[in-house]
Amino acid sequence: MELFRVSRDIYGRETLQGMSWDLLWVFIGLGCVLIVGHAVYRLILAPKQR
Amino acid sequence: MTTSSRANSRGSATADRVVRHALPDRVFHWISAACVLILLGTAFLPIVGVEFAWVAVHWMTGVVLAAAVLFHIARVLVRGTLRSMWIGRADLTDALDVAGAALRRTFPTRRPGKYSVAQKLIHHAFAIVVLTTLVTGGFLLLRIDAPWWQRNPYLFTDATWGIVYILHGLAALMLVTMVMMHVYFALRPEKLKFTRAMIFGWITRREFNEHHDPQRWQVDR
Repeated sequence: MELFRVSRDIYGRETLQGMSWDLLWVFIGLGCVLIVGHAVYRLILAPKQR
Repeated sequence: MTTSSRANSRGSATADRVVRHALPDRVFHWISAACVLILLGTAFLPIVGVEFAWVAVHWMTGVVLAAAVLFHIARVLVRGTLRSMWIGRADLTDALDVAGAALRRTFPTRRPGKYSVAQKLIHHAFAIVVLTTLVTGGFLLLRIDAPWWQRNPYLFTDATWGIVYILHGLAALMLVTMVMMHVYFALRPEKLKFTRAMIFGWITRREFNEHHDPQRWQVDR
């Protein structure tokens, strides 16, 4: 998986175009992991609300 | 609703309600939320294959968000409420208390002021990320024709434009995760009082007494 999008200019040099959009799914996945992780923690490990 | 049961909007309180968010702050929050969702949708839906003319909607929404953020900053400065989001020594002690309680599987012993350290941290994270998208987005506006200017893609070198695009994209990607987390916490049962406060403005006196230190968040009696 690439981190950046790159292209080549007229001289053949690499030019940054921005972040790789493949990372969108990484950030969505990270959000899901954090949400599920916190929900499981609250469900199993955390003390019940007063 | 009687006068005694209706909290006023100046951050004070009545017998049974405490104002947490004044109307202008709530309006700012929901305009910002709508803008961020539109901006994320117009940015990422075309990437996942939903084709539409997104550029005009994207930059116009960005301008609205920038205006909302400027309003928020001006309001905070005028009202002198910048300190309410400051992370001080008491907040660090709160954080240690929360971390210790989590490890011991007990409840924290300390109560925060108006905002918990977690709420301050997420505010600052959103501030940094949104300001990054707005500043870089402002530069990117110079690459498109708009009613007020003609495009000028030669303002920066290609390498500099690449960095602008990377910062804009990275901040947008971070916003995806942060918005997911923010919505999740807003919908959690124990946090619904904060969501209600962001809609209607108030928390109950009982919620105030249970979850806030009255010495650190002083409201009118």
